[in-house]
Amino acid sequence: MPELSLSIPSLVTKRRVLAPGLVTLRFRNPHVARSTVAGQFVNVLPKSGFLDPMLRRPFSVYWASDTRSSDEGDEAEIIVQSHGRGTGILCDTREGESLDVLGPLGKPWNYQSGNFETAILLIGGVGVASMPLLTRALELEEIPILTFYGARTAALIARERLTNLHIATDDGSEGFHGSNVGLLRTLLEEGSISAPKIFTCGPTGMMRAAQALAKEFSLPCEVSLETEMACGIGICQGCPVRNEDAVFEKTGKKFKLVCTDGPSFPAEEIVL
Amino acid sequence: MNRNGQRKTEEVANLRVVLRGVEFKNPILVASGTFGYGAEAKQWCDIEQLGGVVTKSVSRKPRMGNSPRRIVETASGMLNSIGLANVGVDTFVKEKLPYLAQFDTKIIANIAASSMEEYRDVLELIEANAVENLAGYEINISCPNVKDGGLSFGTNVERTEELTALLRASTDRILMIKLTPNVTSVAPFAQACERAGADAISLINTLVGMSIDIYTREPRLNTVTGGLSGPAIKPIAIAQVYQARKACLIPICGIGGIVTAEDAVEFFIAGASMVQVGTANFVYPDAGVRVAEGLTQFLREQKIANVSELVNSLRIRAELKAAGW
Repeated sequence: MPELSLSIPSLVTKRRVLAPGLVTLRFRNPHVARSTVAGQFVNVLPKSGFLDPMLRRPFSVYWASDTRSSDEGDEAEIIVQSHGRGTGILCDTREGESLDVLGPLGKPWNYQSGNFETAILLIGGVGVASMPLLTRALELEEIPILTFYGARTAALIARERLTNLHIATDDGSEGFHGSNVGLLRTLLEEGSISAPKIFTCGPTGMMRAAQALAKEFSLPCEVSLETEMACGIGICQGCPVRNEDAVFEKTGKKFKLVCTDGPSFPAEEIVL
Repeated sequence: MNRNGQRKTEEVANLRVVLRGVEFKNPILVASGTFGYGAEAKQWCDIEQLGGVVTKSVSRKPRMGNSPRRIVETASGMLNSIGLANVGVDTFVKEKLPYLAQFDTKIIANIAASSMEEYRDVLELIEANAVENLAGYEINISCPNVKDGGLSFGTNVERTEELTALLRASTDRILMIKLTPNVTSVAPFAQACERAGADAISLINTLVGMSIDIYTREPRLNTVTGGLSGPAIKPIAIAQVYQARKACLIPICGIGGIVTAEDAVEFFIAGASMVQVGTANFVYPDAGVRVAEGLTQFLREQKIANVSELVNSLRIRAELKAAGW
């Protein structure tokens, strides 16, 4: 029998409340901790059991223990924002309880392509989820990073394990009062950033703006998507994203699947 | 004999099922559209522990599928409107079928089409490229999510019979017709399949359902309505299997919300000889194997030697039966 990567009951070892309805859950899962590459996700079953809610919820891996240091003990972390029953139940998971975790799934961020010199991390809200691991990976590659983090308000910013952080808030409670895309635009117009590539994850409106900005300045840009998903492994075909016309003409394919073709895509290839 | 009239045994229960001379190692299949073409789930599921794999519906030409949004979770279930996204029969016989041939399990190719001729053409193309473990065909006349997905056959008794007879003439392999629950009574459809020479029927496909975002007042699915599946539909499926069992004599493959071995047993008692695990694969890609293992354990605990002893074993009082229930 082949060795299978089954879904694994994973003990929650640490729950931290970052803001009301925003928590991180750290869990023990050697497979996820050791094999996740920045940008991959796990599909997590709310602990209420199988029937209702029935489906798993996808979460980017927020942190995975650093194999170079032994003290973090084969653990990984997700960041959960409560916006419905399933995520609400997950937010309420207590330390000592177990999560059923399937993963890591999906493709990593493409940060090793060599077509850029500076990484711009453009984050909206809980879109921060894959950014700490991306930051670690870029630092290992010794690639300079600029982080533009937009949030509704300062309290909702998960700022740990990020670097060169420029904050923008909708309510002006911290940093630039307005959009992080606007903030980035100002810097791009100055032309002081050396060969940038944008890595972005956040609300669709923000990612659309990032897509347009990248096009305007002819920059490589990668967007990481979140959609409703059932299986997370390419079976249910429930998470399509539409290809740009040029991609459709070239490949004959109208859609990509967020779960197995992504979750991150070159911005110019997809319709947001 | 024990008090249930069953033979006491310490032996491993016999899970084998034979249909049209083909032996399945157990009666647990995975349902079409919930297991891809095998490759997707291979990392997560020991495919050879399954009785068989029913492949994603294949049509004459590749289909891109419907625009998003395609799925919505509902209470103990989900709505889908995938739109028969599939690689088309040419790629199916060139790549998918040979891939599945490596596994020691039975393959049932599910076919979707919009005309008699298309069903026959697809079947004959697969037949011409058959691999050794291709056991037969499941004919999808019940997809609710595309306008040309065969439902015009599945809701019309005469067309169901005509199509079944046509396909019967094209293959000596298992011919199983997948029926829709979106009809007043499943009985005449079961009988039509039997008359026209089908080896089995499978039921149920998804039920038409709908979900609305109350803030935008828009339907959640791009196609407005979709197909409801999952544990929410199990009682409906059990009832339809029971009604079909009373209406015909050909074997029934039960489908609808099976998550556990106990769910499968309920279908056997209602009259199914085999079952398919569907939506549960989206949560546990090895759900079918879990059900098969659970079934072995159930039979051992209940001291039942052969899974066939469960089939159509509903105990129903004579006066209820006489009254037509």
